[in-house]
Amino acid sequence: MAGAKSASVLCLDVGFSMSNSAPGEEPHFELAKKVIQKFVQRQVFAETKDELALVLFGTDSTKNSLDQDGQYQNITVHRHLMIPDFELLEEIENQVHPENQQADWLDALVVCMDLLQTETEGKKYDRLNISLLTDLNTRASSEQIDVIIENLKQAGITLQFFLPFPVEDDEESGRDAGRGSPGHPGMGKGLSDEQKSSVDIVKHIMLNLDEENGLDEVYSFRNAIEQLCMFKRIERKPMAWPCQLTIGSCLPIRIIGYKAVTEERLKKSWTTIDAQSNKKDDVKRETVYCLDDDNETEVQKDDTIQGFRYGSDIVPFSKVDQEQMKYKHDGKCFAVLGFTKQNTIRRHHFMGTQVIKVFSAKDDEHAGVALSALIRALDELDMVAIVRYAYDRRSNPQVGAAFPCIKKDHECLIYVQLPFMEDLRHFSFPSLENNKKFTPSDAQLSAVDSLIDSMMLSEENDNGEQEDMFKVHHIPNPAFQRHFQCLHHRAVSPGTPLPPMEAWLKAALECPEVIAERCQGPLEEVKRKFPLTEVEKKKKLKTSAQIFGKDSGEPDAKMAKGDEEEDYNLADIAEGSVTSVGSVAPTKDFRTLIKKKCLPFGEVCQQLICRLEQLLSNKNTSYFMKSITCILAFREQSVELGDANLYNGYLRSLKKSIPNRGLEVFWDLLVQDAVTLISKDEVKGSSVSKTEADQFLVTEEKIKEAAAPPADTGDVDDLLDMM
Amino acid sequence: MAEWNKFYHNEDDEEEQEEGEQSGGDSKITGRDSLVFLVDASKEMFINGEDGQLSKFDMTMQVVRNVYTSKIISSPKDLMALVFYGTEQSKDPSKSFKHVYVYHDLDSPGAKRVQDVDALRGLKGAQLAAETMGSGKTSFSDALWCCANLYSDIKLRLSHKRLMIFTCRDEPHGGDSGKDRQARTKAGDLKETGIVIDLMHLLKPFDVAAFFRDIISPPEDESELGLQLEPCEKLEDLNKRVRAKKLEKRANARIHLCLGEGVNVAVGLYSTVKAARKPSPISLYRETNEPVHTKTRTFHTETGSLLLPSEIKKSQVYGKKQIVMERDEVDAIKKFEDPAMFLIGFKPMERLKRHHHIRPAEFLYPEEDEVKGSACLFSALLTKCHERNVFALCRCISRRNIPPRFVALVPQKEELDEGKVQISASGFHVIYLPYADDIRTLDPPECPTASQSQVDKMKEIVSKLRFKYRSDDFENPALQQQYRNLEALALDMMAPEDTEDLIMPKVEQMNDRLGPLVQEFKDLVYPADYNPEGKPAAKRKPADAGGGAEKKPKVEVPEDELRERAQNGTLGKLTVPVLKEACKKFGVHTTGNKKQELIDALVAQLGQ
Repeated sequence: MAGAKSASVLCLDVGFSMSNSAPGEEPHFELAKKVIQKFVQRQVFAETKDELALVLFGTDSTKNSLDQDGQYQNITVHRHLMIPDFELLEEIENQVHPENQQADWLDALVVCMDLLQTETEGKKYDRLNISLLTDLNTRASSEQIDVIIENLKQAGITLQFFLPFPVEDDEESGRDAGRGSPGHPGMGKGLSDEQKSSVDIVKHIMLNLDEENGLDEVYSFRNAIEQLCMFKRIERKPMAWPCQLTIGSCLPIRIIGYKAVTEERLKKSWTTIDAQSNKKDDVKRETVYCLDDDNETEVQKDDTIQGFRYGSDIVPFSKVDQEQMKYKHDGKCFAVLGFTKQNTIRRHHFMGTQVIKVFSAKDDEHAGVALSALIRALDELDMVAIVRYAYDRRSNPQVGAAFPCIKKDHECLIYVQLPFMEDLRHFSFPSLENNKKFTPSDAQLSAVDSLIDSMMLSEENDNGEQEDMFKVHHIPNPAFQRHFQCLHHRAVSPGTPLPPMEAWLKAALECPEVIAERCQGPLEEVKRKFPLTEVEKKKKLKTSAQIFGKDSGEPDAKMAKGDEEEDYNLADIAEGSVTSVGSVAPTKDFRTLIKKKCLPFGEVCQQLICRLEQLLSNKNTSYFMKSITCILAFREQSVELGDANLYNGYLRSLKKSIPNRGLEVFWDLLVQDAVTLISKDEVKGSSVSKTEADQFLVTEEKIKEAAAPPADTGDVDDLLDMM
Repeated sequence: MAEWNKFYHNEDDEEEQEEGEQSGGDSKITGRDSLVFLVDASKEMFINGEDGQLSKFDMTMQVVRNVYTSKIISSPKDLMALVFYGTEQSKDPSKSFKHVYVYHDLDSPGAKRVQDVDALRGLKGAQLAAETMGSGKTSFSDALWCCANLYSDIKLRLSHKRLMIFTCRDEPHGGDSGKDRQARTKAGDLKETGIVIDLMHLLKPFDVAAFFRDIISPPEDESELGLQLEPCEKLEDLNKRVRAKKLEKRANARIHLCLGEGVNVAVGLYSTVKAARKPSPISLYRETNEPVHTKTRTFHTETGSLLLPSEIKKSQVYGKKQIVMERDEVDAIKKFEDPAMFLIGFKPMERLKRHHHIRPAEFLYPEEDEVKGSACLFSALLTKCHERNVFALCRCISRRNIPPRFVALVPQKEELDEGKVQISASGFHVIYLPYADDIRTLDPPECPTASQSQVDKMKEIVSKLRFKYRSDDFENPALQQQYRNLEALALDMMAPEDTEDLIMPKVEQMNDRLGPLVQEFKDLVYPADYNPEGKPAAKRKPADAGGGAEKKPKVEVPEDELRERAQNGTLGKLTVPVLKEACKKFGVHTTGNKKQELIDALVAQLGQ
């Protein structure tokens, strides 16, 4: 099992035709490069043992082991087979460029095959794969093609093509490719003769390798990028748990259990490092034990013993004693206690954090029959087995239910833990049904009824089957997606603030658009029929942070509105953690720094401006909001400290740069909020008069008319280009 | 070094647990719960029932004991008191009341108290009670006053105050209207200070209207009084009724259930099931057995100076690259939006798959005093979901800075048992659903299916072993053992009380019941020479006499190979023992045993 890994070669065409592009589109090379980047990223974060090699063809130089007698020219093995890392990502980013030669893509394929065969020799791989990314714009010599196919088959190498255009099955679409997607980007002016003949060869190869689905492995660059956007979901190898299901003492059935559903965690956790050296070895953490006296007298760890509370008593109970007296059992078991009706097991009583599927032992036909008899008997009687389950000697036994599960291709028991008496909390709640105050009227009920109608997520499709529009178990865990997105961003563009959440991820978590639209009417009705009024809260207990916030002259509601990050955090301030204006909560840092007066005002302002510029360079509304709060804070503190020059100076230069940077949208926001220069009225030292300050925003109208509409939201990568 | 390891582990675990568990309740309600048992000690309470039934007094003591011991397990900090009224002797801290006996004043229960209550059980207990307290006149107002004093003596913040009256007399003053009036006034005072008064009446017939109606607190839901007023004569019923009352429900979170733009229902999330765990140990100073507390400091290894949080960053290593983030950035990544539940839509109940289970459910109930009108809309939603057999799918963020999860809101109608005690409250069960990452791909082995005759035989077996499952049938043997051990140590008992392992199959009874069926089934499915217990092949070579040492031959990889592997990133191909050995060889300190950590450490070392 240890050798379950794959080896793949990415074979990228960097020849000159790859820099071509249809008007208004990215060059094929850039798209292909993105595909490779996303692919490698996924591998790096998945931390599989899968190995990767990178072969470039169409390079100016030649570097491969088959290079002889003018054969296999302009093909470079850029990286040999190994586990991909960030170095490779950086190399792809910085060293892989379009070059000026063309090379035969079939030759490149042969080089890849040779590489795979020599470098995997003597090791175990469960999959060998070559991915070819090319525009097929070279005439390939097809003489060798059958030999190549034969070799691929023999070596068990699978092949994937990534092309700038989609390839359709001849029989389905006839000769005019692109039936399914008219105007598919990348088609450009149609295919060249070289491309047409190459496409034929590709088809020939792919259909020879797999008659049925060969062409499924031919992708267009665009589709590939979309699919690769999602970080690979975390895969875990299921661990088999062999055991015996017992009924009484005389009826054992050999079984094997697998964890089927459990909340997956990220494999890696954060390590604490020294902020200066970035080394974790520089940070050491130590725990000391203190008596509860006034001096907090320290005692040695060796002088402490373990104890437990028993109500108000404290009972010394050493680890050794505890180990000796603790509950012991015979270890691994899956023993039936009895059988009961399925409806006595309530779904909301399911305990634990996992579901185990139980099959019969491998290669044991008789156990299979016995288990099948049990599963079917339970199913027919609508019953479940209540079992005692213990994973092994060290873990505590549980009580749980084993439900029968019969699927088209397999049968199994599904085990879920049930509560112990100690786990149940018998809360009683006032009845909702018997309370006249809360009983909804018929009109109210029917409003809710139509809301449910409009928001049903499963609908009958044309075939009369129920179709689910929103399958939660198909959504990747957004926490992981976001985590990797941020890690990746930080790795490739250090020093820039974290990117906003990706649009597709946000959309995946929202109500489907159809539903959102359809429910508008019924929702309005519900709104009308059910008056909901927020109860004015009696004074809440203030947390120290809130109190602190008030005392420190926290700006009024407008500033703090909806932005939790602006909350003061007592701990942060008290511990003096803020030393510079950070990117997460720049306004907060800014205020804190000014309050603490440990840095000169000018420097703190400079830091804030720096962050502001960073934020603005990433043209995105959510960043705009943050930028505005920054500017507001800048203004407020300047007024408070009576120093208007820095602020006014910055705002003027910002205004000037608006048209060049396409930040009109942002400027509009400033105008709306009437954020203008600081006038003499506010700060004596200011050189700006009140009218001048008012005028400052008005003149902007003209600029706006002249300016082009704001450009497309910038790519994350050029986040700092403006600086 | 050990501490060091622990530190990393802990940090990891804590973070995980934080996400997984809905820890400790609401910030608004902090403080301890308190409960006073006010027990009638009149002669009537000691009369033994017919056919050997327990006396009401005995029954009450059992219940009190149960509450004590279960409180010790579930919430040891809660305060409890036991007070008798209608006694001959008097005992109270202020020495000003007659016929009231404060057996235990308000404090957290401990081993001693459990013993004390035990002493009052059974025949001997009745004797002891007669000797120490006796039965005398009753002044209910004094009894209540005394209880009120118990509360006012407590300097701690109490979040919930409850008084439970156990009696079998509906007219404690025998019709003395003056005394009745005094008692009513006193009860009013108590209720005004936030004390909830419950009645556990133990004998039929019992006329609540005669006296107690004006003493006890009105039920929360303003439904008819009848619901509570059936006396319970059986221990089991009494236990159930007390159990339902003794726990003050506490919301894990109070959030908005957002049905759409501007339609926000205030709801509370409650844990109605939660795995009870062994308590965590506390450290004691060896010399004095007094508790010690721990302080952790973070300091710079070389300079030894304490590190401020700002001098610390967080990092992860992926693909040989160290990625560094600020501490607040690490938190910011986890934040998606503010806590709330957003309705996505509805699905038929059969779409809720049984195996889509990742953590215990919670319970959703409206919070009328946060948003007025919540209960009505909630109730309408509940009624309709139930009627149409659908569940609501929501995106849920229950606390700040945790990523969203999807949940199914499953409607639950109120259910009462024969004694009109609530079994299930009306509300929604919140079922957490798995994401794609949480579902593992299994390769189901090909299995033969059983024939109908084989299935039928198994059906006979199943029917023979049929029982009625109740969720509170099984105690946790590991937990019980731990507490029995502590109890034994706390009470200086010679040996802990035996715990019965209720989740052990009763093998003999099962065999008896099944009789020849097992053999018949085996004959149908297993061939004669098949040994269902046998292992297909020797799993492991039998260990040599030498044992351990030889079993693991030292595995070493030459330095050159290690360097080479470190360079091209193939260290992962080596096994953990080999890597550990290599770490030792280079004197690399590793923080854990995870493979990746070992590899990272080696790469760092060899890369230098």
